[in-house]
Amino acid sequence: MNLAKLRPGEKGKITAIGSIGPLKRRLMDMGVLVGEEVKVLKVAPMGDPIEVSIKSYSLSLRKKEAEGIAVEVAG
Amino acid sequence: MSTQLKCKESLEETEGNIDAAQQTAQGRVITVAVAGNPNSGKSTLINAIAGTRLHVGNWAGVTVEKKEAQLEYAGRKIRLVDLPGTYSLSPYTQEEIVARDYLVNERPDLIVNVVDATNLERNLYLTVQLLELGIPVVMALNIYDEAQAKGYEIDVEGIEKMLGVAVVPTSATKKTGLDELFKSVLAAADDLAGHMPRKLIYGEDIEAAAEQVADELRHRNLPLSGRYPQRWLLLKLMEEDSHVLEQMKLDRLDFLYQALHHLKKAHGDDMESIMADARYSLASGLTREVLQKPELRQMELTEKIDRIVLNRFLGIPIFLGAMWLLFKLTFDLSAPFGGWIGAMTEGPFKRWASALLLPLGAPDWTVSLVNDGVIAGVGSVLVFVPVIFAMMFFITFLEGSGYMARAAFVMDRTMHSIGLHGKSFIPMLLGFGCNVPGIYATRTLENPKDKVLTALLVPLMSCGARLPVYVVFVSAFFPNNSSTVIWSLYVMGILLAVLMGLLFKRTLFRGEAPMFIMELPPYRMPSFSSLCVHTWEKGKHFLFKAGTYIFAVSILVWFLLNLPWGVQHKRDSYLGQAGAVVAPVFQPLGFGNWEAASSLISGVIAKEIVVGTMGEIYAPQKDEKGEVPTLKEDLKEIAVSFGAACNKAVKTLFYLPVPEEKEKDRSSLRHALQGVFTPLSSYAFMVFVLLYMPCVVAIAAMRQEFGTWKWAVVGLVYQTMLAWSAALIIYQGGSFLGFGG
Repeated sequence: MNLAKLRPGEKGKITAIGSIGPLKRRLMDMGVLVGEEVKVLKVAPMGDPIEVSIKSYSLSLRKKEAEGIAVEVAG
Repeated sequence: MSTQLKCKESLEETEGNIDAAQQTAQGRVITVAVAGNPNSGKSTLINAIAGTRLHVGNWAGVTVEKKEAQLEYAGRKIRLVDLPGTYSLSPYTQEEIVARDYLVNERPDLIVNVVDATNLERNLYLTVQLLELGIPVVMALNIYDEAQAKGYEIDVEGIEKMLGVAVVPTSATKKTGLDELFKSVLAAADDLAGHMPRKLIYGEDIEAAAEQVADELRHRNLPLSGRYPQRWLLLKLMEEDSHVLEQMKLDRLDFLYQALHHLKKAHGDDMESIMADARYSLASGLTREVLQKPELRQMELTEKIDRIVLNRFLGIPIFLGAMWLLFKLTFDLSAPFGGWIGAMTEGPFKRWASALLLPLGAPDWTVSLVNDGVIAGVGSVLVFVPVIFAMMFFITFLEGSGYMARAAFVMDRTMHSIGLHGKSFIPMLLGFGCNVPGIYATRTLENPKDKVLTALLVPLMSCGARLPVYVVFVSAFFPNNSSTVIWSLYVMGILLAVLMGLLFKRTLFRGEAPMFIMELPPYRMPSFSSLCVHTWEKGKHFLFKAGTYIFAVSILVWFLLNLPWGVQHKRDSYLGQAGAVVAPVFQPLGFGNWEAASSLISGVIAKEIVVGTMGEIYAPQKDEKGEVPTLKEDLKEIAVSFGAACNKAVKTLFYLPVPEEKEKDRSSLRHALQGVFTPLSSYAFMVFVLLYMPCVVAIAAMRQEFGTWKWAVVGLVYQTMLAWSAALIIYQGGSFLGFGG
């Protein structure tokens, strides 16, 4: 399961970050860390990018970038 | 070596240096770097503190804006250096590299860290990294009022104790806490050694490995002291930071990898991630200790607004509405004032210059140089001032309010398909009004690749200055379907922008598309004074920097038109001669005559000048020698027309009828054109005007925004080539298909 597949309103816990290099570092700098809880808030009107809530703020990222973030779906 | 400050652990070895640092603090200028996350209210804070004393420029060699200010507080001189807003100090983005290079190489006396009190954890992640530098930090706990309103309880003293830094709650928009902030800054500056931040422990295993690396370095006679702060350098080495490894010129890194091997294995991750994790653990731990949030969380205003603004069905209409408003406000509001400035330089200023020069016995050419060279040059810079100021104001408002990020969110899918970023839409849109503000608006893009690519495509948007050219030609050759023809030119510009975007993506800008990982900050009302300060700074920058180039080109063109001395006919001027030389290039496009070529050359000042020059060449009009107004009448006219401009700006804004201005009679020019062009060649000519090199103002804007001529030249070359090819295809293709007549 990855973050791009979650629907708005669904929550998950990050289990791994598949991307490497600058993209991974940027994600981590923005608080996207393994073990962190993430909730999908919205999908942009045209289907991409998505908005998620992490570390109590809103972050947007493209689905392609979200695909690299493995999550475990939580309730 | 300049004043070197070390972490606490190594203070003993560097006491002499600390003395030197203290001297700096007592008598000389105190250098304060301001660091913080984007959206932490950092620029509002800087604007509130420094106001118009801010000096805006660029960091050397990059497109990142640099702001500096010299201040005096309580008789002490302070130099504020605003670092780019960053989330971290990684070696990847331009902003982060600029910020860390400054902190590490220039060693400011202290750092003011602006922290968003409503978003402590992520902001403290940067704080943790700043503390590694061994520079005293004063924390401005900003947006504190909003945090309180949300019911957050923040243990300010707790942060001070745990980090060993002074913490001052502030609200930049309400201008509270600024005095206290300065007092803390001065207190720290007077006793830098006593304000060294605490060394934070990154976890046992990391510290053990760090100790091992430090030992190995000592063993290899590679002491950590010297250019860089010790703790920072050690941590960067452990992070395997590409920049630091490169600069240290360590040949053999086996020992480093060996020391880190266990750590990597135990965590099952790379060092960069392990360290990021460790820093976030510190930030999270600290946040848990000092922050109490209310149990019940109400739905926040931002969420409520976003339900509507980012709604699946409403999102795009709202976005389009906002863009329409932005366009209207920028151009409709500023146009009457631009016109007023234009009329002022055209009329009274030139008359006054003549009135001053002629009695002094100045020769005609001097009067002409002053009037048509200098004053016209200054005028061509000044007419842009209203539109640049208006654009800056509204763009800064969009950014400060938080809507810019939403606009990017809504548009990213579309823009990404041609290799651009969601935020690229706004510069493109503004380009239809005028390419120059469009190019300046690319500053909202963070990634240099996105920024340059957008700026290169903006000039393909058919700006307002090209419309007069179309109007003259269309009324001469396509009177029955004029709007369709003009519309086709706008569409062609857009289509070619898409095409060129795709082409650039595969050639000049090959490689990974820049990422789109962007915070959607809460909606906030930007402070009006901060907006004004920013608008003023950017506008002033345009006036003096870009203005210089534009002015120079205007003078040059005057010489081209008026040399060699005593030239009577336009054809014999250097401009006419140049036109005659390049005319054969336009032969296959259907307009290979010196008149068209000269008009195109003079059109580089501003594309509407193409029409003006053609008018002068084809249909010269006698100077109307009417009554010359007196100085008093002139002054009165300036005041009256300014009033009229204000009136008109307000009226257009609310769609009230505005009396039509008398258009110049172009019928004689139309007749002359009908004798020289065919419908087909006129269309090829319009396409050429649409596409060929951007005007000098746009080129100056590119030069200024990117700090190098490179991209301006790329734009100039590719557009002229594109224009030639497109006009060729249209003319030759059209002739082949039998539209030649």
